[in-house]
Amino acid sequence: MKKLLLSSAIAAACATSAAAEIRVGVLHSLSGTMAISETTLRDTMLMLIEQQNAAGGLLGEEIVPVVVDPASDWPLFAERARELLTVHEVDVIFGAWTSVSRKSVLPVIEELNGLMFYPVQYEGEESSRNVFYTGAAPNQQAIPAVDYFLEELGVETFALLGTDYVYPRTTNRILEQYLLDAGIPEENIFVNYTPFGHSDWSSIVSDVVALGESGSQVGVISTINGDANVGFYNELAALDVSADDIPVVAFSVGEEELSGLDTSNLVGHLAAWNYFQSADTPENEAFIEAWQAFAGEDRVTNDPMEAHYIGFNMWVQAVEQAGTTEVDAVRDAMYGQEVTNLTGGTAVMLPNHHLAKPVLIGEIQADGQFDIISQTAEVPGDAWTDYLEESAVLVSDWPGLGCGMYNTETETCVQLESNY
Amino acid sequence: MGNLIKTNRSVPIVLALLAGFALLVTVLSEAYGSGGLSVSLTKTLGMTVCLCIIALSMDMVWGYSGILSLGHFAFFALGGYMIGMWLMYARTEDVIAASLAQGQLPATPAELNDAIAVQIFGVVGGDSFPWMWAFSHSLVAQLALVVLVPGILAFVFGWLAFRSRVTGVYLSILTQAMTLALSLYLFQNDTGLRGNNGLSGLQNIPGAEAIPQSQISIWFLWASIAALALAYVFAAWVMSGKFGNVIRGIRDDEARVRFLGYSVEGYKLFVFVVSAIMAGVAGALYYPQAGIINPDELAPIASIYLAVWVAIGGRGRLYGAVIGAAVVSLLSTWFTGGRAPDINLGFYTIQWVDWWTVLLGLGFVLVTLFAPKGLGGLVDLMTRKGEAK
Amino acid sequence: MTRLILAALAALSFLASPVASQDAPDAPLQTILQTHHDLVESASRRTVQTVLDDLIASGLPEVPAFLERWQARELYMRQSDGRFVYVQDEDADPLVLIDIDSGAEIGTAGSREVDQLRANRGVQTVIGAALVQFQLLSPDIATRATALEAIDRAPEPDQMPLIATMLEAETDPDLRADAESLLLRMTIAFGEDEAERVAAIESLAGRIDVQTRAALNPLLATRTGVASQLPEDANIAAVLEPGSDALPRLEAYDILVEEGLAPAFVSADDRRETLIANIEDGQIVGIQVHSLDNEEARIAAYAALVEAGLAPVSPTDEEVDAALAAHVFYEEYREASAAVTSAAEETVSAINTRVSILEMVDLSLDGISLASIYFLAAIGLAITFGVMGVINMAHGEFIMMGAYTGYVVQTIVPDYTVSIVIALPLAFAITFGAGVAMERTVIRWLYSRPLETLLATFGISIALQQITRQIFGAQARPFTAPDWLAGSLSFNDVVAISYIRIAIFVLGVLFFCLLWLILNKTRLGLEVRAVTQNPSMASSMGINPDKINMLTFGLGSGIAGIAGVAIGLFAQVTPELGANYIVQSFMTVVVGGVGNIFGTLAGATMIGFFQKGVEWLNPSNTLAAQTYMILFVILFIQFRPKGIVALKGRAAEM
Repeated sequence: MKKLLLSSAIAAACATSAAAEIRVGVLHSLSGTMAISETTLRDTMLMLIEQQNAAGGLLGEEIVPVVVDPASDWPLFAERARELLTVHEVDVIFGAWTSVSRKSVLPVIEELNGLMFYPVQYEGEESSRNVFYTGAAPNQQAIPAVDYFLEELGVETFALLGTDYVYPRTTNRILEQYLLDAGIPEENIFVNYTPFGHSDWSSIVSDVVALGESGSQVGVISTINGDANVGFYNELAALDVSADDIPVVAFSVGEEELSGLDTSNLVGHLAAWNYFQSADTPENEAFIEAWQAFAGEDRVTNDPMEAHYIGFNMWVQAVEQAGTTEVDAVRDAMYGQEVTNLTGGTAVMLPNHHLAKPVLIGEIQADGQFDIISQTAEVPGDAWTDYLEESAVLVSDWPGLGCGMYNTETETCVQLESNY
Repeated sequence: MGNLIKTNRSVPIVLALLAGFALLVTVLSEAYGSGGLSVSLTKTLGMTVCLCIIALSMDMVWGYSGILSLGHFAFFALGGYMIGMWLMYARTEDVIAASLAQGQLPATPAELNDAIAVQIFGVVGGDSFPWMWAFSHSLVAQLALVVLVPGILAFVFGWLAFRSRVTGVYLSILTQAMTLALSLYLFQNDTGLRGNNGLSGLQNIPGAEAIPQSQISIWFLWASIAALALAYVFAAWVMSGKFGNVIRGIRDDEARVRFLGYSVEGYKLFVFVVSAIMAGVAGALYYPQAGIINPDELAPIASIYLAVWVAIGGRGRLYGAVIGAAVVSLLSTWFTGGRAPDINLGFYTIQWVDWWTVLLGLGFVLVTLFAPKGLGGLVDLMTRKGEAK
Repeated sequence: MTRLILAALAALSFLASPVASQDAPDAPLQTILQTHHDLVESASRRTVQTVLDDLIASGLPEVPAFLERWQARELYMRQSDGRFVYVQDEDADPLVLIDIDSGAEIGTAGSREVDQLRANRGVQTVIGAALVQFQLLSPDIATRATALEAIDRAPEPDQMPLIATMLEAETDPDLRADAESLLLRMTIAFGEDEAERVAAIESLAGRIDVQTRAALNPLLATRTGVASQLPEDANIAAVLEPGSDALPRLEAYDILVEEGLAPAFVSADDRRETLIANIEDGQIVGIQVHSLDNEEARIAAYAALVEAGLAPVSPTDEEVDAALAAHVFYEEYREASAAVTSAAEETVSAINTRVSILEMVDLSLDGISLASIYFLAAIGLAITFGVMGVINMAHGEFIMMGAYTGYVVQTIVPDYTVSIVIALPLAFAITFGAGVAMERTVIRWLYSRPLETLLATFGISIALQQITRQIFGAQARPFTAPDWLAGSLSFNDVVAISYIRIAIFVLGVLFFCLLWLILNKTRLGLEVRAVTQNPSMASSMGINPDKINMLTFGLGSGIAGIAGVAIGLFAQVTPELGANYIVQSFMTVVVGGVGNIFGTLAGATMIGFFQKGVEWLNPSNTLAAQTYMILFVILFIQFRPKGIVALKGRAAEM
């Protein structure tokens, strides 16, 4: 029955109709390797749009979702984005997950002056005029988590394990510099990259355990992506490495990923996000209730879903304020827009197209949920990291400076388009 | 040429059709015509034409020579990478030179070079040019590499494999291993081609920033059509005459041809290398239209799909490959683009976005079982009917 | 409904609040906590010690119990008045609040009216350390073990007498051993008597556990120092020669610069900065700025600045050499006692030799394990592809179907052991059936066209993947090993292998033996070999080739299903599970040599060990290992086209 409802929602989505509607493009992979993560976001968007329509639509018009499938194929993301903007003539796009898919879409939406909301935590070092980044920048996820390791757990030897692609690479580069600045010697930082879907973890886990021989507390910073986490945590559990011995903090493991494995052996390991399903607020309760009614009783919510929730609501507010869906007007109305976070507090859209959001650190519980043990005040997202020499001089301020990559040293705008 | 037309009557027909197609898209284009053809569709068509070229090259090695290569997309992607390097370098150089010109001191060549390197490789944590970018500043050199790199790879690989008399299924699996190894190599972040991120923003042609994509896309479509026409004539020419006979002889009974005194290895190697170069050129035309190239493009599955296109189109006939690639890739685009109407069965709605792959897979099975000659076989059927009258 | 309850809750808590606000003097614990309110509410490892010191100094009898509950995250704070409380049952709604001093109920509150004070792991460790004094002499053995563990996590010198006291009375041999070992390690770290420390170090000789190494290695930590003369009193590890591998010339000079003992080089960047700082009216000491677009011009301009006294001069090579010659560079132990460091040096080097030998053993185990996974994934193919010559691209999907069978059975049968016992034969039956169905409907029409089998089965493969995605969703499904397969067989701290890998190895061996027996010792095997080598001859001998082909293909597919159950336990159950293994499986069979399960075994072993070997050489990049493994396979085939175990004679010509 749920499936049927979902189906009819999508059927409605695909039917093209008269021009007196507002169209929202949904650009998430429904097949291929990324379907595992992105189908959830498609469903989230459909739910949010359904809710908004039930509440009377937007500017008195109905919102119609246009769902396309870029099939985890990066060139196809660019092609589909162009189609959405020129053929379907959507007013805004919600979509993409991996950095490479975002980089594929960037030139197209910048050329056609489209508007996209990107909901996933990413490596930063970017600020496009046409993208609003509702996921976390490194300083909203990675840095607070490392601080927690340094301050609260007293970790002195770090293993940075990641999947070999740009998000872990850049995040680890930032973290390495951050750790060196914090006085951790270089030989106490162990870095390893594995391919997507890696499953043979035994030697890497024993390497990490062996780091303990230096006599200092070892901690793992994991940017391991998706499925590969299952094998990694299973191996940790098999070698009886508890969170007391070697704590692991993960940036890509959320409720959705945990639903694919037995968490009883992972209790106490950590994850850092801007949202956990276990956050106890009335907004979150309503959101979870709506989601489970929409997608199924056993479904969980996660951080990118909250990012879409915030992004969509901000866009709706901005459109209402601007009185039009025209991109330039909406963009101007977006700055300073506020939406209540599902975890409490308020998310604010900053001039650099990033959000100010609280950073949460949670411990994995046996039921696959997270016990929130630390929640900061809202941290403003930083497009260009302060911890790398070449980025420290760059800032992004679209309404003020009209530039997303402004060199404060030479006081010039390096480029108006983004760096893809 | 007259001889060629006699031996392969499809050549004038295909050329005429391609010319007609070029005319049609121009008339419909946004830049030069009525505007009925959107830019995104123009790009899709242009890319499809490039896929037809690689399908053609696949048909040469498989349909005519009996070498089922499951690694042809490696050559295609290498061609794309080679042109992509120039596109990225030249575009970044424009941006950086303009930015540095605002500085207080004029930039030295070394500073310019470093800044370009940081801009291109910063995203994967690098700050200097790897050795393989040595010629990236020169369009001519990179165009030469489009031909040379796939050609040399095919030569080395083919020479080793044919010399050891690796044939049939073994060769297929070996070619698959080749493309997998290459893709894994490129996936590594520090091997010089930006790892998983690949090269992006390729649709922005340096020096042509002011020209709208509606024009650029139609130019590329023309170029792709011209390349397909050339490739078609070339393939038809190679496969006609004595050379073609020997090649087909090798396909049907390699040992017998060898006993007749022909250098089987030499013939196979020639076809393999030529076909790899065609694939490389196709890739060099494809990726500036696609906009991004990354190691996923040469994952083994892409090359298997290629074999399936050729099989569906009908191998051993050049137009079959073209038809197969065009039909399957255009259908895929249509079904996954959200425009195919869903079928409501009352109790269940079939969404094509979800079920298209299933249909495609079962389609492969049916074609293999019931139409071993593929869609090209239908053409046979029609022409034979015509002859009967 | 929810709203109604909330309203009721609000009313209740309103009623409760007056009770709570009386901070009676007979609540000493609460009083102490309230003086440190913020430190308790947002406790941090670095600051919580103050609170703990006050609590322990108070000598209140409730303190140990309170600390335990705080550590266990059972402490709450009421938002309305900041009072710290326990709750009766944390799942209850509303929560019943309990006073921390008296243990009496003091009202109720909704879950959003109190904050659970979740002590983080760091704070838990600190509280644990504070609790040690209460726990170490506890009659409960588990409590004593917890206390020992707590000391081990954060050892402090003043805990040593406590452990010694505990040891006097300790009767449990395991705990005693742990305590003695801990005391030994603490002696090494904190001991004041040099001879005692050396003796302790020497007593650890030959022990390879991580704890021992963690105790010894810090003693050997060094720092690089520089001085004009080698200091007399320092515990010198080595004298470094500038220009040697250990200390390159420029690095040595950088140390001098850092210590302020020599002037710094002027880098190209410094030069640029200095030039920019001296721009006046588009000129630098008379040189036009726009002419400075190359390094030579900038060097010349900088020289002009130096001459004008506006910039520091960069040291010349001679000056660098002179500065280096005037200083001595050395590595100095952080540990002051030379006797201790030399004893540690000796013990550690002996331990390290043993550890590196054991690491090779561990690596070999990993290699065997990886090989057995490759073998298990490929063994079904060894039959369908190796023996029958059918290229089944859907083989991976049969593996996946096996894994999903395991998952589905587990959702129905909650007992993990029973579910696996059911899943194994069921997976075989399902994939056997699927294999037979595929053989009958598709493959048998294509025996004369092997390359087209590839296309048809590829079609089936992508269709099966997508259908699975439609049924089960794209998310990974949990398929959990039973408890007896969890954990690992650990020989010592270096050599360990998880039980699940052992199980996969055993399953691989079983399959190997079973298949060898079937193919070589049974009538079926004979007929299979007959049919695959010469079908027409076989059928004239009264064998039904159709039936044999069907059964053989079914067998190969069924084995893939069982392999899928095993692989699903070890990896992640997703629709792409099989696709991840298919290319490697084909390579395994081809490298090993077609037509022979010995070949597959050899192929899997070679690939597994080669990959682990490369990983060992380059531990930070697993992807490179896979790349080189495939390149190796490609080259290997060039020189041995028929694989490791090549069939000879007629059978090779099929």
